[in-house]
Amino acid sequence: MQRLTTSRVLRIVFYIILAVILVIQIYPIFWVLTSSFKTADDMAFLPPYAMPTGLFWGNFEKALFHSSLMRYFLNSVLVAVGVLAGLIVLGAPAAYAISKIRFRQSEHLLSFFLMGMMIPIFACLIPMFQIYNTMGLRNTYLSLILPQAGFGLPMCIYLYTGFMKFVPNSLMEAATMDGATNFQVFLKIIFPMAKNSTITIIIYNFVNIWNEFTYANTFMTKSNMKTLPVGLNDFVGEMGRRDWGATFAAIVLAILPTLIIYFFLNKNVMEGMAAGAVKD
Amino acid sequence: MKPRYKWEPWLFSAPALIVYVFIVVIPVVWSLGYSLFDWNGITSMKFVGLNNYARMFHDQTLGTTILNNLLFMAIGTVFQVFSGLIMAIILSNITRGSNIMRVIYFIPCIVSSMAICKIFEKLLSVQPEGVVVAVMKLFGMQPVALLSEPRWALLVVTLIDGYKFCGLYMVIFYSAFMSISNDVVEAAYIDGCTWAQQYQYIKLPMIKNIFFVVLVIVINGTLKGFDVSYILTNGGPGNASELVATYMYKTAFNSTQFGYGSALSVFLLVESCLAVGIVRTFQSRAGKKE
Repeated sequence: MQRLTTSRVLRIVFYIILAVILVIQIYPIFWVLTSSFKTADDMAFLPPYAMPTGLFWGNFEKALFHSSLMRYFLNSVLVAVGVLAGLIVLGAPAAYAISKIRFRQSEHLLSFFLMGMMIPIFACLIPMFQIYNTMGLRNTYLSLILPQAGFGLPMCIYLYTGFMKFVPNSLMEAATMDGATNFQVFLKIIFPMAKNSTITIIIYNFVNIWNEFTYANTFMTKSNMKTLPVGLNDFVGEMGRRDWGATFAAIVLAILPTLIIYFFLNKNVMEGMAAGAVKD
Repeated sequence: MKPRYKWEPWLFSAPALIVYVFIVVIPVVWSLGYSLFDWNGITSMKFVGLNNYARMFHDQTLGTTILNNLLFMAIGTVFQVFSGLIMAIILSNITRGSNIMRVIYFIPCIVSSMAICKIFEKLLSVQPEGVVVAVMKLFGMQPVALLSEPRWALLVVTLIDGYKFCGLYMVIFYSAFMSISNDVVEAAYIDGCTWAQQYQYIKLPMIKNIFFVVLVIVINGTLKGFDVSYILTNGGPGNASELVATYMYKTAFNSTQFGYGSALSVFLLVESCLAVGIVRTFQSRAGKKE
């Protein structure tokens, strides 16, 4: 294997290509990070690609304490927690029933759920809007939690069944012999065993929920109910003349949580995102 | 395991099923229903039969939009699949720095499209001068307002969307390459296979199925493309970067034509199912050849 690759010229070419792509991939993020430290003077007089003259925290102060960013942050967290809790609580038992309790319609039930992965959210957006409008759910956290939980379920159930299928039945039979009910088997044995699936589901969905734009832009019209991605936009317009320094600081603060999680769990995040995308 | 009693499995799956039906299934059917009405959300609904669908054939904006979306799909697919594949090949061939490169390369995937759009809006802006324009000037070029130039807007939107997602395909291809057993490659090497040939004859054919999976994801994703176009250019200038999803969204929520908007959303649903079906057909045909 090694001998097939170690042509020296080829390796140098590889590293050059890598370096170029790396710069392209990372530059926008790097640039927004450095720009968030620029003072108004830096912005006005330095060329846009120049580094800031010093570490100026004023932009962050403005973003944190003189705007609704903290509120948006809270909204995003609450929505994420709601969706994730809903997904696990609903998805795991359903997957258990489909993969471990033998019943006639289990195959059909699974394909019925998986059908949902084909449906674009735009096909549901208008009726959702009308339903939530009539039920008074607009501008509540539920209006973001419900659709994301509903559309997240197919993938969640798919990943759980994919794991649970391979848990040996003998394990569960032994527990049943000792008098455990199906629910106890699920809660005490299968669900703890599926920890890795749970982590994958949480990571994949967290990234998506944190970055979700369409629902938040459609259902949340009150300014104090906005989530971070939409709030970022609002923030730009709010300052009249766009205060780009504060905007950059807000962007940095908004992407920080995912970056921190990614920093510690990058392997899980990459695998989780890929597993979520490669559904079949 | 056998159920204790007949409806026990339903006890486990009913909550999920109910939520799923009410949130996903019913609205889809509802959309089909809405698409048969003329309705602005306030006055009473007027049944118009298939008129909304007939209107699509005369809607020139929709024609432009579909064409844009096909270009968005074609360029986006080529760009994302190729850059992902090339990165995966390179990264699976080097030993030093491969992991850290992968981690960095994936970062745009976890950043929200809103943040990415805001960053690029500023990078590409002309007044105040953004980095791209400043660099153009450094090289003595005439600065171009890429986002307000009809010729460039769609391409820029496509590339930014691709920029955000290509890391994902790198990860998928990379893990596919890693799962190929070394024995196969070593055997080929002993038979005199060169570096390029190992890809041509062994590795790429072996991950053919992953190719189709990736193709389904990219095509499905680009046909439903929304965020970048909506946030960065709002479909403009004019209709230059309008996609089907953004057009549908604006028709429904900006011009409150819920009936026609629903018809467009049904079109989007049918279109993406059709595209995935076509890819799947190719996949099963490619599978049969062997």
